[in-house]
Amino acid sequence: MSSQKPLLEVQNLHTGFNIEGETHYAVKDVSFTVNPKEVVCIVGESGCGKSVMSLSIMDLLPKHNGKIDKGHILFKGNDLVPLTEEEMNQIRGKDISMIFQEPMTALNPVLTIGYQMDEVLFNHTDTRKEEIRKKSVQLLQQVGISRADQIVNEYPHQLSGGMRQRVMIAMAIACQPQLLIADEPTTALDVTVQAQILELITKIQEEVGMAMLLITHDLGVVAEMADRVVVMYAGQVVEDTDVDRLFYEPKHPYTKALLDSIPRMDDHREVLNTIRGIVPSLKNMPKQGCRFVDRCPSAMPECTKIDPALGEVDKGHSVRCILYDASHPEKKAEV
Amino acid sequence: MEAAEEIQLEKKAKKQSPWSIARRKLVRNKLAMLSLGFLVLVITMAYMAPLLTGYDPQRVDIINRNQPPGEGFLLGTDASGRDIWTLLLYGARTSLTIGLVCTAAVIMIATVIGSIAGYYGGLVDAILMRFTDFMMNFPFLVFVIVLASIFREAGIWALIIVLSVLSWTGAARVVRSKVMAEKENEYVMAAISIGSTPFKVIRKHLLPNVMTTIIVQATLLLAVMIVAETALSFLGFGVPTGTPSWGNMMTEARDPNVIRSYWWIWIPPGLAITFTILSINFIGEGIKDAFNPRSAR
Repeated sequence: MSSQKPLLEVQNLHTGFNIEGETHYAVKDVSFTVNPKEVVCIVGESGCGKSVMSLSIMDLLPKHNGKIDKGHILFKGNDLVPLTEEEMNQIRGKDISMIFQEPMTALNPVLTIGYQMDEVLFNHTDTRKEEIRKKSVQLLQQVGISRADQIVNEYPHQLSGGMRQRVMIAMAIACQPQLLIADEPTTALDVTVQAQILELITKIQEEVGMAMLLITHDLGVVAEMADRVVVMYAGQVVEDTDVDRLFYEPKHPYTKALLDSIPRMDDHREVLNTIRGIVPSLKNMPKQGCRFVDRCPSAMPECTKIDPALGEVDKGHSVRCILYDASHPEKKAEV
Repeated sequence: MEAAEEIQLEKKAKKQSPWSIARRKLVRNKLAMLSLGFLVLVITMAYMAPLLTGYDPQRVDIINRNQPPGEGFLLGTDASGRDIWTLLLYGARTSLTIGLVCTAAVIMIATVIGSIAGYYGGLVDAILMRFTDFMMNFPFLVFVIVLASIFREAGIWALIIVLSVLSWTGAARVVRSKVMAEKENEYVMAAISIGSTPFKVIRKHLLPNVMTTIIVQATLLLAVMIVAETALSFLGFGVPTGTPSWGNMMTEARDPNVIRSYWWIWIPPGLAITFTILSINFIGEGIKDAFNPRSAR
């Protein structure tokens, strides 16, 4: 797979927010790649920069204080970072599209479903109006909405959460994008609907032949969907590997801790495992050393002094931890 | 699960756009409907004035000065012998025209400035809002009086332009704050994410959502504009004296003798102004209520 030319390459991405005159990085030095037709999951706790990263790719950061400071986002070899708003509009919805977390608020309450569906096609194709409506109905049928021809005349509040998410998916795939970014697409849905939506996304992803960047904090979703997994913590990639190795040979203490916090059917603990503490906020991020050090079960004194680098421990498996850092071979023995 | 959804949806077969829901609520609001009926009547009569009276509003008739209501003159005549009923109809035309045109102009300016400032934020917002503050700080009355006296020859259009240019600030602030609140919704980001231009996002996604506020603002502004016209004309700085308007009719009441002895000169325009403003305000309240999802009317 590595011989393919990557579809999306994020290189040393730094996305900062200006808070009280100081720039704080929500995404710091993030690099990863997505190959064509591959499903890459970005995993991490709330507040670890997953969403900011996806917004950076789409150039949807809040204009007043969010900004990409450094780094490149190469899409099919072209850097998206220096593009103007107009140039981005050519790409958004056509080559890269996005599904949002909250299907309840991601549709405009005062416009009909059909109107909003038509808008994507209207923005990116020069099909005639009647044709566009026909295409919209087809797309809705493709995502499993049976009364598509009636739904187009209805308003978002008349649909259930699952149905709305289907509409969002239909909008996202309308122009057959090559990359779909799904920002926690099932978090707001109940479990049975979640399964249906994930199934639908997988089916569509194979039909359209697109790559997908799936952002989630649900490791169950990761196990089901991912080809490769990028684990993020406090704005940094801490582990980047394929899905099997993530579950069977996790390396980074954070990844291990995440996996340990999954409740299992087969043991009868009274108290669930948790990772103590919370992700440090942007303003309280440690200036030096590993960002996970305060919560890390295997923290050492050196951890507060050395910024660990993302290093490859195995082919296609990188970890950011001095336990595995090639530049500190003496630590390796203690694993 | 799909089947259950379908049954539920079948029940809501009636059109469910937020607009139609609001319209149904408004129709059920008796006071607002009554007021709307009254306002429509006033507007119709104002613009059909020549069919409802045989007199010329500008014709002076010295012989029939200060005639009480009765034969020949439905509501009597004023100090120059002009028919009050005729003046009332033609005056309504002037007052309502000023009110409606000013409101339309003000809402247009306010919507453009407010939505651009609210949507872009940052520097654009700062510049537009400082400009708004600047306009807001003009002493309204003094400015209107000075400008209206300079451009007196232009008739009511001078007044319309001056009123519009000075009155959009409050509405612009309201629109801006609504747009700012509304653009935080995810649907705006979703609209951008499918490649819609800022202009399109504002026009097709944000404006329909702040339209309710704009409509309510417009009704209230209409009342304010009519009052502004009457007040200025009453002071003698509004509509030129020759042109009939409700404010100009009220000017007569500055004479204590008129107030004491000739009630038919000032009561009709007074009542016309009061009821028109009242009904506009009731309609505004009704619309506000109709669009408020928490009001169960």
